[in-house]
Amino acid sequence: MTRLTVRNLTKSFGKIEVIRGIDLDVADGEFVVFVGPSGCGKSTLLRMISGLETISGGELWIGDRKVNEVQAAKRGLAMVFQSYALYPHLTVRQNMGFGLKVRKESPDEIERRVNEAARTLQLDKLLDRYPRELSGGQRQRVAIGRAIVGDPQVFLFDEPLSNLDAELRVHMRAEIAALHRRLGNTTIYVTHDQIEAMTLADRIVVLRDGRIEQVGSPKELYARPDNVFVAQFIGSPKMNVCPVEAIRSPLQRAGFSTGGATQAGLRPEHLRIVDEAEGILCGRVSISEYTGGGALLHVELEGAPVFLVENSGDDAPQPGDIVHLAFSGSDLHLFDAEGRACHREPELA
Amino acid sequence: MASLNETGTTVRAPRAPWLTLKRRETIEGWLFVSPTLIGFLIFFLGPLIAVVFYSLSEWNLLSQDTTFVGLANYEDALTQNPDFWQVIRNSVIFAAGLVPMNMALALALAMALARPFRGVVFFRTIFFAPVVTSAVAWAIVWKFLLQGDAGAVNQMLATVGIDGPNWLREPNWAMAAVIVTRVLKMVGLNMILYIAALQSIPRDYEEAARLEGASEWQIFRMVIWPLLAPTTLIIMVITTIGSFKVFDHIYLMTGGGPENGTLVLAFYIYQQAFEFFEIGYASALAMIMFVIVLALTVVQLILRQKGST
Ligand SMILES: Nc1ncnc2c1ncn2[C@@H]1O[C@H](COP(=O)(O)OP(=O)(O)OP(=O)(O)O)[C@@H](O)[C@H]1O
Ligand SMILES: [Mg+2]
Repeated sequence: MTRLTVRNLTKSFGKIEVIRGIDLDVADGEFVVFVGPSGCGKSTLLRMISGLETISGGELWIGDRKVNEVQAAKRGLAMVFQSYALYPHLTVRQNMGFGLKVRKESPDEIERRVNEAARTLQLDKLLDRYPRELSGGQRQRVAIGRAIVGDPQVFLFDEPLSNLDAELRVHMRAEIAALHRRLGNTTIYVTHDQIEAMTLADRIVVLRDGRIEQVGSPKELYARPDNVFVAQFIGSPKMNVCPVEAIRSPLQRAGFSTGGATQAGLRPEHLRIVDEAEGILCGRVSISEYTGGGALLHVELEGAPVFLVENSGDDAPQPGDIVHLAFSGSDLHLFDAEGRACHREPELA
Repeated sequence: MASLNETGTTVRAPRAPWLTLKRRETIEGWLFVSPTLIGFLIFFLGPLIAVVFYSLSEWNLLSQDTTFVGLANYEDALTQNPDFWQVIRNSVIFAAGLVPMNMALALALAMALARPFRGVVFFRTIFFAPVVTSAVAWAIVWKFLLQGDAGAVNQMLATVGIDGPNWLREPNWAMAAVIVTRVLKMVGLNMILYIAALQSIPRDYEEAARLEGASEWQIFRMVIWPLLAPTTLIIMVITTIGSFKVFDHIYLMTGGGPENGTLVLAFYIYQQAFEFFEIGYASALAMIMFVIVLALTVVQLILRQKGST
């Protein structure tokens, strides 16, 4: 059983504190994704867990072992690097068997386990090639293969897909998800791509500036973000946020109470274009971006900043058109002056 | 072709000018390379041809007359003159001692100094400084330090109870001394090359290996060392070539002595040409050295090509 427990973990490089007190529990077999903007400390946190970076403060437990001072190799985890870190002078077979070899496994055992991993990842035919003779996706698979050969308790991934093109990324994402379902290892996965996070994660950890902003299932983060940052980070295109003041009267007219909230948020996909009679908000389309399935409208509301509105179907309003927007009360997000969510009543489906 | 234009005057289809763009670029190209090319012809190719010619002649500067003797000078060196083989032996010993010591030390220093730490620039400078120090100053200082009983080296050895030899007065010790002092002078250069190579190896390789349980030694032997192979090869060849061409160091430290114990090829050539004025014989020796260095260069090229495929 491989739980992972992080208690008040901190990391400083010199005087700069990069990780500022992280608390987290990862259950056995769980797929946890760290997301956050560039420089927020995702990689650093992952490397602290792996043992490649020392821990400045706090505790890290893997299973029932406190591993703060345990060497990286003895923590029972494997890591897939963004660069893949495949040794260029070794074949795929040797790359995958490297860890077993340095741990002095017998050649037969190495052979058996490499073959098994190769079969799992459909690398059988590539075993005698060198990394430079592989495509990006194949290299990625070899890197994953090298990780699973050692039969680790925990998998760590640091932006493993960011060197792939968009199409391949979607494909490898599905493969990683499938692999996790099959092997069931506890997995921690770093990305700054929130779609990757949403699609893969059992739970997402949103980081900012070395702190956790929110932890929850993709659905929770989407439906009930704890704060403006998470609300805008999760979901694409990002949530429209404006001061409550700017739209107070339309909201009141529609019968939505805003309590003490100072900011209101509405997701572009939750705004519907309706007839004037039903409309809650009203504005002028300034830009209409055709997206294939529909259009992304930039709508200038009176007294409010531009709102993005997703419009499906072919009959998108043109720039200059006046549109009326409606939404349901459960899709209205309210935040206080500090950006914290004002949760009104449980409304999660 | 002539034709009429609107105003009724004839215009001739313009003839292509002699100075086309292509010609012009060609001329400019030659002008740009000409300084080097002329220099090469006068100062390199010319002397080279002259040496080939001299090596086939008997020419003593003192007697001033030149006679064509065919391969006699080569025959003399390879079969008659016992000095020649001792000189070759010395050169090989010098190279065999210097190259591994230089490379091992350079690599060790590079491993220690590739990664930044407080004071790293200071240490890199310390080890590189001798490379750009005057060979004369270096040799004089070491000659002084390596004096018999009064030398600093022996005095230091004496403090730990070792009775040091008279370094530069005994053939074998003299060879050891010139090798070591030469290594100390030149090691910085290879160190820099190794540092550059080490810095170009992504940190990820090392970290991936460490995560998989490799010890420091395994990381070095199974990851770093193989990735350094191209650099090691180049360093090996240029250091070997350099060691075959060593002259100033020997000239200043031992003058080839004692008992010809440090008489190496380049110095022997100098001796024959400018002390004994046997220009023909010296030219033949120079050609032999040229062939040795050329062979080493070719070996390097072949190995490099193999390595890159
Ligand atoms: N070795 C180091 N020395 C000093 N500062 C560092 C070091 N490594 C990381 N940092 C700093 O720590 C912060 C977090 O870096 P980290 O690499 O963890 O960010 P990240 O969230 O992974 O970003 P990205 O999405 O760009 O990969 C950054 O501000 C970075 O400059
Ligand atoms: Mg990162």
